[in-house]
Amino acid sequence: MKNIKLTVNGEKFEEQIDNRLLLVDFLRDNLSLTGTHVGCTYEGVCGACTIHLDGDAVKSCMLLAVQADGHNVTTIEGLSADGGLTNLQQAFNDEHGLQCGYCTPGILMNMADFLTENPNPSEEQIRHGLIGNLCRCTGYVHIVRAVKKAAKMLKDSAHEDRT
Amino acid sequence: MYPAEIKEYHKPDSVEQVLELIANHEEGESLLLAGGQSAMQAIKSRMLRPQCIIDLQGLQELKTINDESETLKIGAMVRYCELVKSSSLNNNFTGLKDAAAHVGDRQVRNRGTIGGSVCWNYAAACTPTAVLALDGNMHLISSDGEIKVICADDFFLGPLDTAKSESDILISVSFKKSKTRSGSAYKKWGLVKDALPVVGIAAFVKLDSNGSCCEARIALTGMGVGAQRAAAGETPLLGSYGDPQSIEAATENICANIDAPTDLSATSDYRHQLIRSIGAEVILTAFKRAST
Repeated sequence: MKNIKLTVNGEKFEEQIDNRLLLVDFLRDNLSLTGTHVGCTYEGVCGACTIHLDGDAVKSCMLLAVQADGHNVTTIEGLSADGGLTNLQQAFNDEHGLQCGYCTPGILMNMADFLTENPNPSEEQIRHGLIGNLCRCTGYVHIVRAVKKAAKMLKDSAHEDRT
Repeated sequence: MYPAEIKEYHKPDSVEQVLELIANHEEGESLLLAGGQSAMQAIKSRMLRPQCIIDLQGLQELKTINDESETLKIGAMVRYCELVKSSSLNNNFTGLKDAAAHVGDRQVRNRGTIGGSVCWNYAAACTPTAVLALDGNMHLISSDGEIKVICADDFFLGPLDTAKSESDILISVSFKKSKTRSGSAYKKWGLVKDALPVVGIAAFVKLDSNGSCCEARIALTGMGVGAQRAAAGETPLLGSYGDPQSIEAATENICANIDAPTDLSATSDYRHQLIRSIGAEVILTAFKRAST
């Protein structure tokens, strides 16, 4: 057992946990943040549990919760600072970038990080960025379209901010 | 798939503390955890059941790339995503960048490290192959204080096996900077994009002042034995200018001297064909990069 202190979605938490507890289960079971999904029984292949650790998209089934001690975690519940939809979420809504929605939180968390690094992505870059996220419904066409649209929305809103 | 009981978890912030922790545990009890993108899989599947995990994430001193005058020294905890972005790797060491850019996926590259990859030495892994072609040196410190420098040819012993002992910690991987023009490249082919390599090949060439090859190193992976040198492919390149005949002789020599297995991913013949096509491409790219 170990005592950990971490920040999740801006809120500070302190918990006594088992060393072997995976971060994804800590988020889901201890903090009830069930938007982070388990799609592949913790095998690290589906990407549905993608979160941000200190801003970087990582799979939360690939980390022990104790490793997040002292760090900053953002989950899908904290992606939007004001509770509304981010440009990325709005673009997924507009372009119907999902069907069953199970993989969507992981894809949004990965693509949010991807777009900060690649503000003008090509289709090839988007598809390369999506390799770590499996979607078994859409065939990715609408997802790629939604990410492209989000990049444009982000660029337009940045432009509006400047003018 | 879930970890077995882990009695202790430590996150030391200095190499000295790591060595002390290693020394305080019996052999087989403790495990050094770098990025964890392979080791956590082994822990969850219970192939590994460490009683004590020593997390290396607190070692800031292992997270830097030092571009020195004669060597490039990459800290063991430098992540793939940082290798890809580093301008220090732009000239002689692009082959390592090629490898790092296509390991797993974005999430893996955001967490996985060069040190973790070379110490794990998975049967089909890109980074050890690139490090072998680039003649990297592994810098280790043992829990009794001994400092060891092991060259890649002696370090990679086979799948999941290296010359690193359990009482060692890898500090950095260094590469000598070539005084004359040199270039490197890596490419793999897998069943899906960026998957583990069915065949992966890295090439390094050094050119003399006339532009002819005076040193060549080729390494490959995907033959079931981990990263391996393909010395047979190096000889035909020596003295050449990277012409198609020399490159073809190099890849044919590799095929003639390699034991390419047949498995669920590919037949032996198909692997030979991959060696010919990927091999020709990476050798030519290495020559082109050396010439520009």
